[in-house]
Amino acid sequence: MWQKPWGYPESIVVVAGTLLIGLVLQLTVGAFDFYLLAFPNNIILGSVILVAAIGMGLSASKSSFIRWFSGIPMSVILIIAFVFLTLLMGSILQVKSSNTKLGLDAMTSHWAFVLVYTLTLLSLGVIIVRRLLKFRISDYAFHLNHIGLWLFLFASGLGYADMERYIMYVREGETEWRVYDDQNNVKELPLAIQLNDFDMDVYPPKLVVIDRSNGDVQPKDNPDIFQIDKDQNTGSVFGWDIEVQEYIHEAVRSADSTYRPVPMPGATPAVKIIASRNDTILEGWVCGGNQAQIHKTLPVDEKYSIVMTVAEPRSFRSDIVAFTESGEQTAKVIEVNKPLSVGNWTIYQYGYDNNAGRLSSYSSFELVYDPWLTPVYAGIILMMLGSLTMLWTGRKGKETSNDME
Amino acid sequence: MTWNDFIYFAIPAIILWIASGSMVYFRKYVKIADLTMLTGTAIFALFITLFWIHIERPPMRTMGETRLWYSFFLAVVGFVTYKRWKYPWLLSFSALMASIFVVINLCKPEIHSKSLMPALQSGWFVPHVTSYILSYAMLGAATIGAIIQLAKQKRDARIFDFIDNLIYIGYGFLMLGLLMGAIWAKEAWGHYWSWDPKETWAFVTASAYLGYIHIRLRRNPLYDTFALWLVPIAFLLLMITWIGVNYLPSAQGSVHAY
Repeated sequence: MWQKPWGYPESIVVVAGTLLIGLVLQLTVGAFDFYLLAFPNNIILGSVILVAAIGMGLSASKSSFIRWFSGIPMSVILIIAFVFLTLLMGSILQVKSSNTKLGLDAMTSHWAFVLVYTLTLLSLGVIIVRRLLKFRISDYAFHLNHIGLWLFLFASGLGYADMERYIMYVREGETEWRVYDDQNNVKELPLAIQLNDFDMDVYPPKLVVIDRSNGDVQPKDNPDIFQIDKDQNTGSVFGWDIEVQEYIHEAVRSADSTYRPVPMPGATPAVKIIASRNDTILEGWVCGGNQAQIHKTLPVDEKYSIVMTVAEPRSFRSDIVAFTESGEQTAKVIEVNKPLSVGNWTIYQYGYDNNAGRLSSYSSFELVYDPWLTPVYAGIILMMLGSLTMLWTGRKGKETSNDME
Repeated sequence: MTWNDFIYFAIPAIILWIASGSMVYFRKYVKIADLTMLTGTAIFALFITLFWIHIERPPMRTMGETRLWYSFFLAVVGFVTYKRWKYPWLLSFSALMASIFVVINLCKPEIHSKSLMPALQSGWFVPHVTSYILSYAMLGAATIGAIIQLAKQKRDARIFDFIDNLIYIGYGFLMLGLLMGAIWAKEAWGHYWSWDPKETWAFVTASAYLGYIHIRLRRNPLYDTFALWLVPIAFLLLMITWIGVNYLPSAQGSVHAY
């Protein structure tokens, strides 16, 4: 060992040593505080890493140490170190800030993780610079994969502290700019949201049998359900054969306790069924109800009733206008998977009053500020292109003898 | 076509696959083996198509539905790689693995409702899941190759070539699945990477295969053996990512359904 050129043994010792230093730091100074990296510190540290990578890359031809540091054995051992650390992370329940001295329950702020991450950024950076110095078009797969990964690791790691996430609650017809952070502190943002309308749609609900005395769904351990479905209007639940006579997705109760279709916000799904068991045949409406309408059940005997479950949401959406301090206005109907971007902010549909459902008088939004998103996306796109090249070429039959191949 | 009809497609598919996987060893029946394998796979594909139409959403929401795709892709990958590399064991082991996953699905019926929660209603849903499951099938085939190679007295360069290629392509699909997942996560949850337990395990799995790829850049008998052992280990990690995570105490509150 320690005879040049260095290889796997030296890489193992150096990376293991790094993990050990990380552990000692964790035990002595406590977890790494990611918010130390908030702007402008992340720019400073990022520049240092970048300059170091370029400097080392430029002098690699003269230094076998630098060639080893950015070579294959080192990269393999760093990858294995990541496997080791993330295996621990995946096996131990992770919390926001560690409750233990060892700190393995908050792995991303563990010194060992941070040091291996930094070492990887540097090693990966150096090999990229070395290959760029001898740039060949035929190396496109290498460059796409490695530059993409480097950009992603660099921007997501250093940018983490600059990211802000808040929740905002807005009542229908009102405009709001106050938000809550994850500690429930109120903050005023340079961004306001006006909620014009909130609406949602639900899937057809299910029917179940409950014990009226305690509300338990039957059978208790493994509840039976009947899914209302336009393609399947018969079925059974807890020994009762069910036949759907009529299903109204947006129903309103009439004076005679039947239901009729009325498309309005207070409407709720209702179903008319025939339930039969042996010689007993029952017919009636079942409705889950909402804040505007009382529910309706079908009692089948002195103990049990057929009831409708709360319908699962199909979609929920908010018609909003976002205002910035500079007077810019953007209107959009946002829903889950369809956020609105305003500058470095992204506005997400977050939730609503679950008890009120469609009648919810407010909508909540998650607002995320991430000024590092562009380089992160650039990294993702480069890696995707790199992955596509791997599908295309597979593994070319040749082996390599040095890092430049 | 509801899930209750699955058995009428599953049993013929299994019979045809197993028949094909056995016939492939007899020169006389090699041609029929091709036809049998394709017919079994076509029957299976027909069920997926009809079930998809019936359920009015991509059949990729539940664990059982992903097993359905896994069986299908294993059969496809097994056949294609067998035609390309001519190893009969590829066909028979893929057919066997595909059949095992069908049997699991027959033994563990699930509720397949038509509802799809809003977070899953995205254009990324289908490519994210299929890319992953396809890569799982390829990496499964690579694992079969690695075990065959480990059992051999002398390393076969051609089998190594096969394993390398499948891992490169499988890793490509794995990364595409992961990266599409990251873009989707940003759209749906506000962040592209949250170290959700499923994400953490996906990272572990991808890193393990990345380790294999880098080790194999240099040829050396010692590294070769280490790399070969890494393939089944990585596949075990992959299985934990796919199936095992939900059972881990560390995965309480994971946002992934499977």
